[in-house]
Amino acid sequence: MFYRLSGTYHTSYAADRKLWKIPADRWMVILLLILAVLAPLYVSPLYLGSYVLPWVIWSAAALSLTLLMGLAGQLHFGFAAVMAIGAYASIHLVRFGVPFELALLLSGLIAAAIGTVFGGAALRVKGLYLVMATLAMQYLVDWVVVNVPAISGGAHATLRTPEVSFLFVPVESLAARYWLALGWAVVLTVFFMNVKRTSFGRALVAIRDKDFAAAVIGVDPFRTKLMAFATSSFMGGVTGAILAYCFYRAVTPEQFGFNVSIQLVAMVLVGGLGSVIGSWLGAGFVLLMPIFLTNVVSGLAAGGWVPVSQNFLSHLPLMIYGAMIIGFLLLEPLGLAKIYDNIRKYFLVWPFRHARS
Amino acid sequence: MTGDNVLVCDNIVRRFGGVVALKNVSVAVRQGEIFGLVGPNGSGKTTLVNAITGFYPPQDGTITLDGQKINGLKPFRIASMGVARTFQNVALFHGMSVLDNILMGRHIFMKPNPLASFLYPWWAQKEEIAHRRHVEEVIDLLQLAPARDEHVDVIPLGLQKRVELARALCAEPKLLVLDEPMAGMNQEEKEYMVRFILDAQDALGLTVLIIEHHMDVVTALCDRVLVLNNGQEIAQGPAREAIADPRVVEAYIGKPRNAA
Repeated sequence: MFYRLSGTYHTSYAADRKLWKIPADRWMVILLLILAVLAPLYVSPLYLGSYVLPWVIWSAAALSLTLLMGLAGQLHFGFAAVMAIGAYASIHLVRFGVPFELALLLSGLIAAAIGTVFGGAALRVKGLYLVMATLAMQYLVDWVVVNVPAISGGAHATLRTPEVSFLFVPVESLAARYWLALGWAVVLTVFFMNVKRTSFGRALVAIRDKDFAAAVIGVDPFRTKLMAFATSSFMGGVTGAILAYCFYRAVTPEQFGFNVSIQLVAMVLVGGLGSVIGSWLGAGFVLLMPIFLTNVVSGLAAGGWVPVSQNFLSHLPLMIYGAMIIGFLLLEPLGLAKIYDNIRKYFLVWPFRHARS
Repeated sequence: MTGDNVLVCDNIVRRFGGVVALKNVSVAVRQGEIFGLVGPNGSGKTTLVNAITGFYPPQDGTITLDGQKINGLKPFRIASMGVARTFQNVALFHGMSVLDNILMGRHIFMKPNPLASFLYPWWAQKEEIAHRRHVEEVIDLLQLAPARDEHVDVIPLGLQKRVELARALCAEPKLLVLDEPMAGMNQEEKEYMVRFILDAQDALGLTVLIIEHHMDVVTALCDRVLVLNNGQEIAQGPAREAIADPRVVEAYIGKPRNAA
């Protein structure tokens, strides 16, 4: 990030549309990717399994949701239900004898089909009313999963994921599960960036920004919104399956409840709507910050720095966490992604003040 | 200059509740001409444009584009048949750069799909670059190159209107509809805009339907005009003659007081 630049100049249209236009950015991405791939070698299994792995998977989930909420502007408060469909579908498909790779794809398609049906509501309603429609989806899917024993295995049952292998590698060891999740998250990240630089992404943003102006230049609102719901639900469905196989390894309906949907929305909002890096930062923040704060506060308490009662102590991290979310959104409504962008642009032209992207 | 009619509106009627916004308006726009739509506030100019572009389909009458009936079609269908328009209050997409906004103008020629985006290097890239070439030609024509990478909501209004014109031009329209392209501009910006419209018409052989309030602009640009008042035609014909019509003068500045 510490480099100076007089401007970015390209000699071809292809170069102008590169994902990372500045060499330093490219090097940073390659470095991060190498670090991420090699993580099982230097991160302790405890941290890898309980922090890094969920972070990677939830980032993929946040990316799926932000395609719909950030790019297409369609609010969705039932995204955990989409992931539940993917998770349950993949488990039943594999039990049925479908190869795991195909089951992942099919579970995504099933989630896309069901998600699109509910997304059809978006063609008639906007804003808060769409929130209600998607909430209905959340509760309906929850209810069906809990009350149909063929899906959940009974009201309070836990469904273990069968043993599978992905491209002949058993998805069993922590490293294998991590690599599968990381692979999917990287695929989604690259996909998302490609969407943003192609006509598909522009059509989504056009529908979000001004639907009448989009219609007047030939964007079909009906088709575009349905495509947004289908794509996002496909991504969410596969992510749900990955979450089941790579992290939970045994699913219950509570893992895909309403509170999870809200948490996903929080990730997307805190990270920054429609942003790739925002999805990663937002997921990391929402997942890891409470844990981090709890550790810091209890550490301080143990050292006698925070003289408060034990009862209050357990709530203190949550209060700080809430204050941080409000603070971030007050200071920068566009989320962590914008904060990152500001810092990046500052160093891009330092010691001068004005940056061109 | 002469030639076939591109757009024919025949006895258009549009009511909003009890208000009749357009009463049997008929108009024919010829290939290659700049046709002006003039009239006081509330006379139905924008309603006529909205009827043509499909936002308020007329309750009665027919609209044909190149002989094909277009009334009753959805706005995006009419757009893909070759009608592009700009709006009175700029309607750009605020989440995008100038370049992306103009690229949206090529939308009707592109086939957006998630799979193409996923396989960008093998699939979407070729299409993107081919359309980028067209867009760059329009950017050159309207001298928008310095603003290409800016975000649209940070550039001045005059430039935003030009970006909107560029977006409409990229659709290679059979009929370009401009709804008050000079609204809120100063004299210099107005002159620039007139020059750009004439340049674009010259380079691309456009047929233009333009709503405009500034009479100097109307007489400078338009081959023929239609003057509306209270949803009715009060004059139609070559620009200078139509504007000099006593009924038009009356509609704008009132009746001269009779000496009595």
